[in-house]
Amino acid sequence: MSEPLLEVRDLRTHFFTREGVVRAVDGVSLSVDRGRTLGLVGESGCGKSVTALSILGLIPKPPARIVGGEVLFRGRDLTTLSERELEDVRGKQIAMVFQDPMTSLNPTLTIETQLVETIRRHTDASRREASRRAVELLDEVGIPKPEARLGDYPHRLSGGMRQRVMIAIALSCEPDLLIADEPTTALDVTVQAQVLDLLDRLRREHDMAMIVITHDMGVIAEVADEVAVMYAGQIVEQASAAALFARPEHPYTEALLGALPQLEDHASRVGRLTAIPGRPPSLVEPPAGCRFAARCPYAGEPDGCAEHPPELRELRRGHFVRSEHPASERARPREGVSA
Amino acid sequence: MSSTPQEHGVGLAPLRQRKERRYPTPPDGVQTDAGAPIRASSLWRDAWYRYVRNRAAVIAGVAFLLLLAYCLIWPLVSPYDPYAVDFSQASESPSLAHPFGTDQFGRDLFTRTALGGRVSIGIGFAATFVILSIGVTYGAIAGFLGGFVDNGLMRVLDALYGLPYLPFAIIVLAIFGGGNFWTMVVALSIASWFTTARIVRGQVITLKENDYVRAAHAVGARWPRVLLRHLLPNTLGVLVIAVFLELPGVILGEAFLSFIGLGISPPDASWGSMAQDGYRAYRTAPHIIIVPSIAIAYLILCANFIADGLRDALDPRTRET
Amino acid sequence: MTRLIIRRVLWTVPVILLVILMTFLLMRQIEGNPFRHSERAIPASIQRNLEAKYGLDDPWYVQYVRYVRDVATFDLGPSLVLRNRDVNDIVREHFPPSLELGALAMLFALVFGIPLGLLAALRANKWPDYSAMVVANVGFAVPSFLVATLLIYFFAVRWGDIFDVPTSGWDTWQSKILPTIALGLGPMAYFARLTRGSVLETLQQDYIRTARAKGLRRRRVVVVHTLRNSLIPVVTAAGPILGFLITGSFVIEQIFAIPGIGRYYVTAVTARDYSVVMGLTVLLAMIVIVANMVVDILYGILDPRTREAR
Repeated sequence: MSEPLLEVRDLRTHFFTREGVVRAVDGVSLSVDRGRTLGLVGESGCGKSVTALSILGLIPKPPARIVGGEVLFRGRDLTTLSERELEDVRGKQIAMVFQDPMTSLNPTLTIETQLVETIRRHTDASRREASRRAVELLDEVGIPKPEARLGDYPHRLSGGMRQRVMIAIALSCEPDLLIADEPTTALDVTVQAQVLDLLDRLRREHDMAMIVITHDMGVIAEVADEVAVMYAGQIVEQASAAALFARPEHPYTEALLGALPQLEDHASRVGRLTAIPGRPPSLVEPPAGCRFAARCPYAGEPDGCAEHPPELRELRRGHFVRSEHPASERARPREGVSA
Repeated sequence: MSSTPQEHGVGLAPLRQRKERRYPTPPDGVQTDAGAPIRASSLWRDAWYRYVRNRAAVIAGVAFLLLLAYCLIWPLVSPYDPYAVDFSQASESPSLAHPFGTDQFGRDLFTRTALGGRVSIGIGFAATFVILSIGVTYGAIAGFLGGFVDNGLMRVLDALYGLPYLPFAIIVLAIFGGGNFWTMVVALSIASWFTTARIVRGQVITLKENDYVRAAHAVGARWPRVLLRHLLPNTLGVLVIAVFLELPGVILGEAFLSFIGLGISPPDASWGSMAQDGYRAYRTAPHIIIVPSIAIAYLILCANFIADGLRDALDPRTRET
Repeated sequence: MTRLIIRRVLWTVPVILLVILMTFLLMRQIEGNPFRHSERAIPASIQRNLEAKYGLDDPWYVQYVRYVRDVATFDLGPSLVLRNRDVNDIVREHFPPSLELGALAMLFALVFGIPLGLLAALRANKWPDYSAMVVANVGFAVPSFLVATLLIYFFAVRWGDIFDVPTSGWDTWQSKILPTIALGLGPMAYFARLTRGSVLETLQQDYIRTARAKGLRRRRVVVVHTLRNSLIPVVTAAGPILGFLITGSFVIEQIFAIPGIGRYYVTAVTARDYSVVMGLTVLLAMIVIVANMVVDILYGILDPRTREAR
């Protein structure tokens, strides 16, 4: 499996609005291998959802447009496909699960309709066969009494169940890649773990690749094999999950991990969470240099990372960083800080 | 090998070291994206800015004001007497001397339209005001008191919805024995306030349950204050929009009633009565009916665009298409 | 579902009673009665006899109850002004044209308005949208009497040789074209704008994005997912509009000389022909109520969420 299933190269998606051009995704490169899970993490507004939507060409076309880069899926560049060709890819080869299951399901159609229409779109199944398959899928995602649920409308189900239905829909045509955009954010904490377990199990059983998008490091820790950290429209660090948690390099990643409340250490329960002061930069006029510079404790060194944007470079095997001051290269503590 | 805290694994960093990591402190004042300070602005100022950016709404607003100015001022300065009959000038097409032409009685239409505008627009606003007054009171009481009272009032309202608007207006006019300004106002408003009542009730209920009302209570504010500072300003927006939404219906109602002879009747001028005059001569002098009709259409178009503009301006969540 | 329907139907009863009451009370406010204000001077003694005959000298609540009883048995009473004619006769003769006109206009408005709005929404902010909305706005703002007059002027007067379209009466199907357009243009424009707004709003919804992400063909997404949900506000508006079309068509009827009840209504009111006015008003009110009821039921069908809410 040397060829990655999905390879995104230098993707740029810009929104052309009245206030200016919003460079939501500005040079994102990542790859997912068959059967592996990539976690895409970052705070709200960093462009991770737009990246996912861009892969499938689902961005709202009037204001938004993919202005550069390639999205190679099984060797084909999805950005060059027509809408009709993309319709064949969506749901069949790449499926997507969205954040809020309440609004993501059509409230006026039954569960059965929403499942069956997907199945019949991509396969030759008859109505009866599709219905039967629908019941199988509902059972697989852990919904009790699936035959009874078929005739229900979305508002009759709980949040967790609705999300399971969405997952069932996504799986219905055996996709190679599943993109889950904040799959647990809108759910209760107790249900979150269940849904994550479900996703992981299904991925293994169907030998699917998965991209999980989230702002929650805990979710990453649970399911991701590889992690890409996004900030202000760019990937700032990418590594295997183990490596990222063990040795985060980028100052932003360090801050993200430092902001996690921890329960184990008594010392860490006393004191305050380190929040990162300031806000992400405007994506209409991004800063000339490193985009994290304004909030970075290591910025402004003589090498001027605030003026020249750092490139994404491979620090160690499989570990990429976009920073002039990755942790490994900070030999000396900063001036003025006692060791 | 550096000695950063993270070498020890996530979360096990000694507190001392974590505390000493320094982040750049923001300068005085709150920081925004590009570092510029935030300017405090009220809801109304925001709305104004948004409204002004909407080209159609601005044009409509200006057009509306121009119309009002025309109706108010022109009759005062016009060289023509809108009531003077002069058959030698009858039914003339628009010209420089008479920009809208003259009617069958030789009266200058440009002046009569302005005069008629006073009446029609006046009735429009007055009736709208009455509609809003009744509707707001009814809806506010129902929404505010809730429960049994609300239920009862809404049932009655459901029943009232069955009253046909125009026939009732006709009956009311017959009661008063004819149409003049005030009878028209009553006739047009009597069966049109139901929708407003329903909207206001819905608004009041939503706002009552709103979290910021609870928050206000939590800090000790009592109902009169809550009403004044929170509920009223938010309903105001809806009401302003409602004015411009009701206006076209009332204007058309007045036009129809006057057209069939029940409302304002000649020689008094309203756009509807002028249309009635013009109708009789449509074969030979179509401009006589066209002029007041265009005036009505003009007003309705302005009102629609203004209402749309206001709606977009006051509800920031309306997405741009 | 059937419970919903039954409840709605039952509710119409108190509504009708209320309508009768209000009309009744209002009519009583009009000074005089048909006999005192008749064009032919009637001697006072005969006036009294006539009043007694028609029961006009009884107290109002007695009259009211008697009237309600009559309505329940579909007896709308005799016309007080036109001898030898019952209100029922008048209704039977003149109501069908008005009803037909209203229905045709409604059909016209829906058939042309909804697709226009849909087209505008799907090509939002491009030329089809702009031109469609110009048409819609103009159609909405221009009063129907002008539309009617212009139609007559062009089709009958100017181009009378090319088009053989009658402009009065309601007998042949050609005679129904112009009035339908004149009456239906306004509502058509209204539906177009409403549909456009509703479709645009629906397109922003998350579930449309999901439908696209499933790879569904565009046509299915538009028709099954978007249109169904967008039509809900249109249906809600259609009820009152139908009521308005039927009850407010008197202007069009006058212009096109259509023998409908609109013209009758106005004359009856001015002549204080109580029974005709009462009968017609009750009838019109019932139309409005039925239209609203149908809308409510349709709404329940279109939006499953409301079925249990009540």
